[in-house]
Amino acid sequence: MSAPVILEGSGLTMRFGGLVAMAEVDFTLRKGEILGIIGPNGAGKSTLLNIITGIYVPSSGEVRLSGERLNGQPAHRIVGKGIARTFQSSRLFGDLSVLDNVIIGRHTHMKTGIFDAILRRSKAEAELAEAADIAERLLKAVSRGLYEQRHRPAAELPQADRRRLEIARALASEPKVLLLDEPSSGMDDADTDALMDDIRALCAERPELAMMIIEHDMRLVASLPHRVLVLDYGQKLAEGSYEEVRLIPRVQEAYLGRKATQNAQA
Amino acid sequence: MSVSVTATRRTSGAATALSIVALTEIGSAAFLRQFLLAEDWRVVVGLLGFFAIVLVALQRLPTVEARIEGAFSAQGRFATLLGIAIVLLFPFLLEKSTYALHLLIIAQLYAVLALALNFQLGSANIPNFATGASYGIGAYASALLALNWDVSFWLALPAAAVVATIFGFVLGVPSMRTRDSYLALVTIAFGVVVHQLLNNLEFTGGPNGLVGIPAPELFGHSFASPLVIFGHSLPSQANFYYLSAALVGVSILFAARLHHSRIGLAWNALRADELAARCQGINATWYKVLAFVVDAFLAGFAGTIYAFYVGFISPDNFTFLVSVTIMTMVIAGGMDNTLGVIVGAFLLTMLPEKLRAFSDYRILFFGVTVIAFLMIRPQGIFPQRLRRYGG
Repeated sequence: MSAPVILEGSGLTMRFGGLVAMAEVDFTLRKGEILGIIGPNGAGKSTLLNIITGIYVPSSGEVRLSGERLNGQPAHRIVGKGIARTFQSSRLFGDLSVLDNVIIGRHTHMKTGIFDAILRRSKAEAELAEAADIAERLLKAVSRGLYEQRHRPAAELPQADRRRLEIARALASEPKVLLLDEPSSGMDDADTDALMDDIRALCAERPELAMMIIEHDMRLVASLPHRVLVLDYGQKLAEGSYEEVRLIPRVQEAYLGRKATQNAQA
Repeated sequence: MSVSVTATRRTSGAATALSIVALTEIGSAAFLRQFLLAEDWRVVVGLLGFFAIVLVALQRLPTVEARIEGAFSAQGRFATLLGIAIVLLFPFLLEKSTYALHLLIIAQLYAVLALALNFQLGSANIPNFATGASYGIGAYASALLALNWDVSFWLALPAAAVVATIFGFVLGVPSMRTRDSYLALVTIAFGVVVHQLLNNLEFTGGPNGLVGIPAPELFGHSFASPLVIFGHSLPSQANFYYLSAALVGVSILFAARLHHSRIGLAWNALRADELAARCQGINATWYKVLAFVVDAFLAGFAGTIYAFYVGFISPDNFTFLVSVTIMTMVIAGGMDNTLGVIVGAFLLTMLPEKLRAFSDYRILFFGVTVIAFLMIRPQGIFPQRLRRYGG
């Protein structure tokens, strides 16, 4: 992989009072690359995503997007720079329609202010109609079934479609980096397979898009990411291809416990 | 052949839609007229029962409801024009009852206030208990301008709205440091502070308030004199009826345009999930402050009209209870539904007046209404609708 680095974190540390949730974590993400992030519960995976997206401000260290320092900027501004995300427990706007959810994802690409909305109606409406158009095309591309349901409230969707909608909403902001927080959680094997196909299709369609995926499902981790970053107790344990990483004893320990690892090796 | 059949079907479909719209609007107006002119409490209760039956029937028969909704969206222009015509003609049908007109004016002002609060409570889920205070600030600002500097009503109107807006901004910014119940507490405190200031400051007239606010004039016609149109004389209240109706129209326009724009979507996103909204690029603080500002702006207008209508204001017109009343209207009518909020405002303004026997229990009535709605029908009389996009 020799594509240019798009997102980079160095020395990221996050302290909540006395608790160190993350200590000196470095990572790089290249254009078009998929980086898998694994680790046991509480390892700091979501913390890392929250730091990148501006929900947390790191205690020290910095995040750079194409060389520009991001940390310290509010979450809503970071989206505009080109980082979009999904959430572990899907956080859709449940009482709004599927289409509205995606249109809201285009917020940073719309300009209507209060005076435009009230006094220059045709301009505001044209902008919204354009966003609705783009959102419909995006939904169609992500999933035909989802597109058919675009006028239903998002809360009524089944789990797999909710995750798809989250991805569509994140893509609506036209990100350079897409962060997926446990996209397969709560899915059965068939849904996970469909999700993996969706992500592959997405990469084929957007070769420039870089992705970070937090995942527990090892089938997904084994097949999708180019590289895997292992976190444990807020520290980086290992980094490399899945095949390399899974053989490292400390990684096995973190997942299986020391005893089990020894038994497995014996 | 088939073309002409489709064409005929289309025209007959349009004709049906037109008649559905006309029947609904004229029927509602007739109902409102009967309700306003009813004197016997049994008639009032009977009419209310009828209203309830219609609502329940509509809920049970979603196809009928969808049909009516479809007709209104297909014939939107006709519906608006007929609605305006009905509003214009309505005072002529009230048998010169000044009381009915007075009730209508107050109901319309409350409708404006409820629509203003709806931007916050309905669209963005911000519990603001200070709408009554913004209303009072608008009223006092315009009254003081008129009394001290002889500013005409037409200048005082926008000036008072600007003053109220500034206060809304002043309230909105510190409120952003808190959320949920704490935010509600901050707004309650703001309302109490405003009330206390009005009560204790010298230039606001203290508890006695401001007296002798002059009636507005337009092209030499004083709003205190009867309105004569084509030889028909209407009581002087008709002037203010038309004025407040125009303000309701402006508020509806505001509501519709903001709802169907990036701003309305951002408010709805904040209501559903603030963290997810921020991660879509929505500046939560800015949009919440904006909701405060729009609320205060419209409330300021309503306050001015109220002050010039009654000609006398005192701090007790703008207590915490006024804010609670407005909130009740939004909750009962239907959060984030313009029609619902207006119906809620009309119903809750007129009911206590019509059922005089209960007027001592007004607050109890509002309390019971809120509890009943939150338990039985939390979405209000008319629930919010999903947005539609052309085509």
